[in-house]
Amino acid sequence: MNAVPVEIWDPPIETANANVHLQPYICSVVKSGLALILEGKTKILDGFLFPHTCDSIQNLASVVNDYLGLEIPCCFFYHPKAPFGKSTRDYYTNQLKSLAGVLEGHLGPVGSDELKRRVTQGLDLHRRLADAYEMRRSGAIAASNTSFYRNVRLAEYQHPDDFLSGFETFLAVSKGENLKGPAVILSGILPHPEILRLLDQQGVRVVDDDLLSCGRRMPLRFGEAQDPYEILVENYFAMPPCPTRGSPIQERIDFMMDKAQASEAQGIIFCVIKFCEPECFDVPEMVAAAKEAGLKTLILDLEVNQPLSGQLATRVEAFVEMLR
Amino acid sequence: MSMKQRLAYNFMKDLGAPVAMGLAAKGKKKRPASTDSPFGPRLKCAVRLKEIMTRHYFLARYAKGAKPVAWVTSGAPVELLRAFDFYTIYPENHGALCGAQRLGPEYCAIAEDNGYHQDLCSYARIDLGHALSGKTPVGKLPSPDLLFASNNICQTVLYWYRVLAHRLKVPLLLFDTPYNFENIRQEDIDYMVNQLEEMVPVLERVSGKAFEEETFSQVIHLAKDTSRCWGRILETMQRRPAPMTIFDAFVHLAPVVSLRGLPVALGYYQILLAELEERVDQGIGALRHEQKRLMWDNIAIWYKVRDFSNLFAERGMNFVTATYTNAWAETSAHMDVEKPFESMARTYGQVILNNSLNHRLELMERLIRDYQVDGLVIHSAKSCKPYSVGQYDLKRILMDRLEVPSVIIEADITDFRAFSEEQTRTRLEAFFETLEAS
Repeated sequence: MNAVPVEIWDPPIETANANVHLQPYICSVVKSGLALILEGKTKILDGFLFPHTCDSIQNLASVVNDYLGLEIPCCFFYHPKAPFGKSTRDYYTNQLKSLAGVLEGHLGPVGSDELKRRVTQGLDLHRRLADAYEMRRSGAIAASNTSFYRNVRLAEYQHPDDFLSGFETFLAVSKGENLKGPAVILSGILPHPEILRLLDQQGVRVVDDDLLSCGRRMPLRFGEAQDPYEILVENYFAMPPCPTRGSPIQERIDFMMDKAQASEAQGIIFCVIKFCEPECFDVPEMVAAAKEAGLKTLILDLEVNQPLSGQLATRVEAFVEMLR
Repeated sequence: MSMKQRLAYNFMKDLGAPVAMGLAAKGKKKRPASTDSPFGPRLKCAVRLKEIMTRHYFLARYAKGAKPVAWVTSGAPVELLRAFDFYTIYPENHGALCGAQRLGPEYCAIAEDNGYHQDLCSYARIDLGHALSGKTPVGKLPSPDLLFASNNICQTVLYWYRVLAHRLKVPLLLFDTPYNFENIRQEDIDYMVNQLEEMVPVLERVSGKAFEEETFSQVIHLAKDTSRCWGRILETMQRRPAPMTIFDAFVHLAPVVSLRGLPVALGYYQILLAELEERVDQGIGALRHEQKRLMWDNIAIWYKVRDFSNLFAERGMNFVTATYTNAWAETSAHMDVEKPFESMARTYGQVILNNSLNHRLELMERLIRDYQVDGLVIHSAKSCKPYSVGQYDLKRILMDRLEVPSVIIEADITDFRAFSEEQTRTRLEAFFETLEAS
């Protein structure tokens, strides 16, 4: 369809005008997304696609579609929740095909060859990111935490052609040994730039992550399907465990502990976005498992685009001291 | 299931419970009705309701081992579990009960001490507090053999029940109901039907009982009659004066939520309906002087039900409808004994919170017209995002379209630490002034 998806996570924007529509107890990801729309910064878009991630995004989709009076079409995507039954795979396939039909209605037809090419390119992108994560885990990337995530997150809005070539360059110039300093894993929704900066200043290496916007989207294995829809289906069911898909908590704990073991991490930082229910329900169990395995843990209540308070910064510094 | 525990359960059901209920009733002193009360005569069947719910929780103490036990979310198609004779516990109903007894913060704090954030749904925190400590005002809740959740009311129940499944090491069945951003689609119905059919072998294994479609259909028949009867009960409040208030309905809702599909729930509602119809015939209102008629949006503020009931009644204001109480009547027309699985999918896939805000807006407009509503009180519940996000827009649109004044109360369903008495009072005073001037 020659469309570029642009993900909205944490646009740098004031969210005050979103308060006209949203209560104080709604997370800053949802608020900043709505603020972006209300400020007219999304006028250049040809459509919105709302995934069914959580209750707040579900209702945000309804507010935007039903009440903002925008001329930009809204599309929706419902992904099935675990525990998955026999019928789930077929349902997910139908969902994808149905979405493709809706998008074609708005953006124009897509040929089967082009669809296959782009889906395959998506796989390449995931493979390249997985390689980068593996290099980082083994201490073969000399980039700062800030730089690593800045480059990884370009995939959220760049055209894949541009992203892949740019990412190759980043990896090429970043190759180098990086084994000094305490190693931590980040868990949560997305990497907060100020946390990354602080960790860089403290000489801490982020060796892996379980972040919804980053590591938790990369399939754990690549299938052998040839049909583009089948490839997408394989990808969905091969994604790491996540509360937004209803995965059992034990699977999530195992996933995180495997990462900790493989990367020899000493601690885990849970970057929790305030009011994020999917994450907050899992954190106590994950913290307990991490502690039992002898890992240090730190839970941070964060808001996107909010500067880190002195208190939070001090807690991060104290945590880093414990790791040394 | 153990024979000994089954015998104990049956003994308590047939003899122990009636004796215990009888003793409890004898010990209860009746409060004389105040002559200057703004309320009309009390509902006679409130006593029967109390008996039913007390008996339900009393017998729950003996259910473990005698019957398969399931913890169920309020929007799940419990009819399927009834076909396997599960004893069902509704943690949300238990949470409401704790909230009404002002125990919310105490139980929530137990969950919070174990790492669960204060921003999480307080029904979930109360339940986790109970699971971690065993504390409950009902004596004891049986531990589950199965967890049965449906995300048709929120995704929160899925996150919450995952925690229970992890901690209690019991299977979790999810009835995954695709959200209706627009109209429900056949592929969504097929998906839901397939899920229900796939649950049958699991339920047979956990319960040790074979599935019988005829039993399932009978349960659906009973559930449909119960929900329809509940709907007729609510409709009596279209009359002036309304024979009961929505605060009564919040309490009388318990059987259709927790005992749906059992004869006791239908039996109770038939008695309640008869009493309400009699009141309508005799012109007896819930308030002595009903002057304004109001609508409530969202779950009740359980620790404030009595206070609010008095506060509004003193001004001759009666709540005659609520989107919340209506939810257990709204989709019952889809129940069809000829198509048990499909009808479950249609009924539970289209409940209020599984539909877009436009659906809620249309419903509210209809309720405002049918119940001749003068004003709207919107509870913005910190615990319930799917119910609350969008309310600011609904308020604005309803004012624009129907010129219905409204007020938003920022609160929580059970955790009164999230409730500001002063702020609420100020907002309500302004609302009363607007209403009284209209």
